[in-house]
Amino acid sequence: MKVDIYEILMAKQASRRDVLRGTAVAALGATTALAGLPKSAQADSHVNVREAILQIPGVGKGSPTDADWQKVGELCLGATKASVQEGEFEGVELTFMGLNNQNLHNFLFRGFLKPWEAYTGAKINWIDLAQADYNARLQQAIATGTVDFDIIEMGAPFEGDTAGKGLLDEMPGWVETQIEEDDLVGYLKPPVGTWDGKKYRITIDGDCHTFAYRTDYFGEGSITGMEVPKTWQEVNAVSKELVGKEDPLTGLPAHGYLDPLKGWGGFGFYFIENRAAAYAKHPDDPAWLFDPDTMKPRVNNPAWVQAIQDVLDLIEANAYPADQINADPGTTGFQQFLAGTGSMLMWWGDIGSNARTSDTSVVGDVVGFGINPGSDRVYNSKSGAWEETYNEAPNMAYIGWGIYVTKRVSGDEKKRKAAWSAAAHLGGKDISLWCSAYPSGFQPYRNSHFIYDEWEAAGYDRAFIEDYLGSNADSYNHPNAAIEPRIPGIFQYYSVAEDELAKIYAGQYGSAQEGADAIAAAWEKITEQIGRDSQIALYKASLGL
Amino acid sequence: MSAAEGDLLHTVDADNISDSRIRLGKLLLWGSVVLMFGLFAIQALFDAGAISFGFENWRPVLFGYFIWALALCVSRVLIYGEQGKRSLFVLPAALFVISMVVFPLVFALWISFSDWNLASLTGRKFNGLDNVRQMMSDPFYWNALYNMLIYTVVILIEYAIAFGLALVLNANIVGRKFWRVTFLLPLMLSPVAVSWMIGKSMLEIRFGPISRFVRWLGWENPSFFSSPELAKFMIMAMDAWTFIPFMMIMILAGLQAMPKEVLEAAEVDGATPWQRFWEVTFPLMLPVSITAVMIRIIFKLKLADIIINVTSGGPGGATDSVTSFIFREYRDRSNVGYGTLLAIVYLVIIVIFMTVVLKISDRIVRRATGAG
Repeated sequence: MKVDIYEILMAKQASRRDVLRGTAVAALGATTALAGLPKSAQADSHVNVREAILQIPGVGKGSPTDADWQKVGELCLGATKASVQEGEFEGVELTFMGLNNQNLHNFLFRGFLKPWEAYTGAKINWIDLAQADYNARLQQAIATGTVDFDIIEMGAPFEGDTAGKGLLDEMPGWVETQIEEDDLVGYLKPPVGTWDGKKYRITIDGDCHTFAYRTDYFGEGSITGMEVPKTWQEVNAVSKELVGKEDPLTGLPAHGYLDPLKGWGGFGFYFIENRAAAYAKHPDDPAWLFDPDTMKPRVNNPAWVQAIQDVLDLIEANAYPADQINADPGTTGFQQFLAGTGSMLMWWGDIGSNARTSDTSVVGDVVGFGINPGSDRVYNSKSGAWEETYNEAPNMAYIGWGIYVTKRVSGDEKKRKAAWSAAAHLGGKDISLWCSAYPSGFQPYRNSHFIYDEWEAAGYDRAFIEDYLGSNADSYNHPNAAIEPRIPGIFQYYSVAEDELAKIYAGQYGSAQEGADAIAAAWEKITEQIGRDSQIALYKASLGL
Repeated sequence: MSAAEGDLLHTVDADNISDSRIRLGKLLLWGSVVLMFGLFAIQALFDAGAISFGFENWRPVLFGYFIWALALCVSRVLIYGEQGKRSLFVLPAALFVISMVVFPLVFALWISFSDWNLASLTGRKFNGLDNVRQMMSDPFYWNALYNMLIYTVVILIEYAIAFGLALVLNANIVGRKFWRVTFLLPLMLSPVAVSWMIGKSMLEIRFGPISRFVRWLGWENPSFFSSPELAKFMIMAMDAWTFIPFMMIMILAGLQAMPKEVLEAAEVDGATPWQRFWEVTFPLMLPVSITAVMIRIIFKLKLADIIINVTSGGPGGATDSVTSFIFREYRDRSNVGYGTLLAIVYLVIIVIFMTVVLKISDRIVRRATGAG
């Protein structure tokens, strides 16, 4: 139970026994102890916790440490204490599989869950994976029937591989209440996280790529003297314009947009998608990667070819940093943009929070945000012709990480409750605010994350935070958002495309069209191999057709 | 002297094996054979859907194999007594090799002729020679094989450097022991560490110390992995830096074991330093050199870690090795059947290549040393 709630109850002259009884009743009835409190007390406790955690360690006071994560975990334990008795999970051991990117993800979860382990008595064993190893590890575990984890941090694109094969445990109703699921932004609500009408996911992240740019490169008197680009055509024009100029911050060569030209275990494909979305995602058509009736790839249609050609044009113009052909998205985001190389970048939102709070960032004061640039024209796949009209389509790349519980716990009610309780702790409303505000690997995904006053009170610059959060909110709520298909093997398509793109960028194909045709041919092979009919059915379902 | 008497030195116990004991041994052996194949047949039929009863997984068949292996060992002793005990010195090792090498190889061969994508709901399907056909027209695989050829040929340069270093370290130089340890240090590093330490940090184009140094030398915008040739060279250089010490230490050991009298005799006969090296040292070192180069080739054919970490095979496949390509095909694309076929073909190529190289090198050594 949270200290402040305890104090409120004391103030109301409740005896210690009443307090404990209230907790036990709450746990048994799967209702929260908070339910008995006046609404204002609940709200106050939330506000107090949110204010307190946003001061850990404090904006501008360096990267948070394990001690900070534990403090945050402890302060956010209220909801768990309301539904679980102390020591209730004594003897339960759970295995948690997640990522170790930039020493975040699992590292944070360990810290957050340490107080949870101390309180509940459960023990968690950890499987840490690098981003590039994740897909293979998961696929092999599924295919060989060796799922050796009870809780998994997983992106929605893998729901087809896991939930579709009956490997996940259905989310109990009390979890939904505990994590206050109705607070999620619209596009993360079902059907995302559901399969055949059953719910499996606790969302801990909202994913979309947003546009980050250097404010000192744009505006009157800047080195470009131009406004911030609104279209990919303008992005390319500025990038070419900057060749030979000097970066105002570092004094090193100035650069425009940073395309990652090297693969990243399939995740690199999202970055060509950013460019392609503006050209290929027509507002009247939810599909943009495949034809939903035939699974015929669209990756070699004129829209995608234009996106690839844009990159080739910048290579030709020598607009990238010297070793860009060997730069993956991790390099463009963290080693280049945050370190002061390049002026424009599409990335997940954590670039925004890292810009201000990470020790390695030098661009915190000169960074601005927007949604995925648009295009002066859009390709209509149905008519097979370009339409000369402005179009924009934010890329909901990866849809966001979630916490899922596997079937391994289904037969043991105590273990099952423990697994869902741990998952719910990580997916709690308050803890998620902290994750959005500090380096965590996650970006805002709840409506409550867009209360700018909270961020300002935490020490963020109001203008910066409105800009950064606004770009996320605008992307999430965009009517023409490009949403990823949750079909089995989606990363195989991405991986093979990365190989072909590497060849295209290295000049091994005669034209962008020829390279795109090679990607399409490889995609057709994968569809044949996985099963065309089932892929069509799942693709349509994921598009809501 | 009879045969039995002659064997007394080796046989502790003169065996007098009863018929019942032999029968028990045979019963045990054939019983375990029936059990193992029976379990296998049941599970195979159940898996194929031919019968309605079976096990949840193949584990009972594995247990059947363990029982057979144990029964085989016990039956040797029951049937052959002391002679059987002797076979126990070899049998466990042989069974271990069968379990860990032969069976996986046969199983790999089995799945390499199948269409098996881990994301497919239908699972594994036999597809005949389709994977072979796909391989024949796969530009990525042939490109990787071509790269491997170049990587392997470059071993000759590495060998020359290693020989040179070994000669220096064999000479009476100041701080000889210190230099020997220093030159060995790269071998102690994991290639993954080399990838990150050198490939990703020291060669980082903005702040990496090597980049700063070459900028100071006058290369304005250093870039070590942007052109195919340079990227290939950098990968080879990093790999060579790690493994040249290995060849060097082998050659050094050979040099130290070489009889001094031969060189002294050559010197007395008026041979120049170059003649002493080329006509005496080098031929005498050939057997050691061949061994060092062979082992180095085996190391090189496995080259993957540095490539995966630093370039992911790029730019445009210029640095891709067969192993790093199979790694992507198998791991990122879960294409188990095709990935396994590529690995099997690579294995066959390596076996043929190594056999030919060994034959040729054997002939060279014989000719150079005048043996045989």
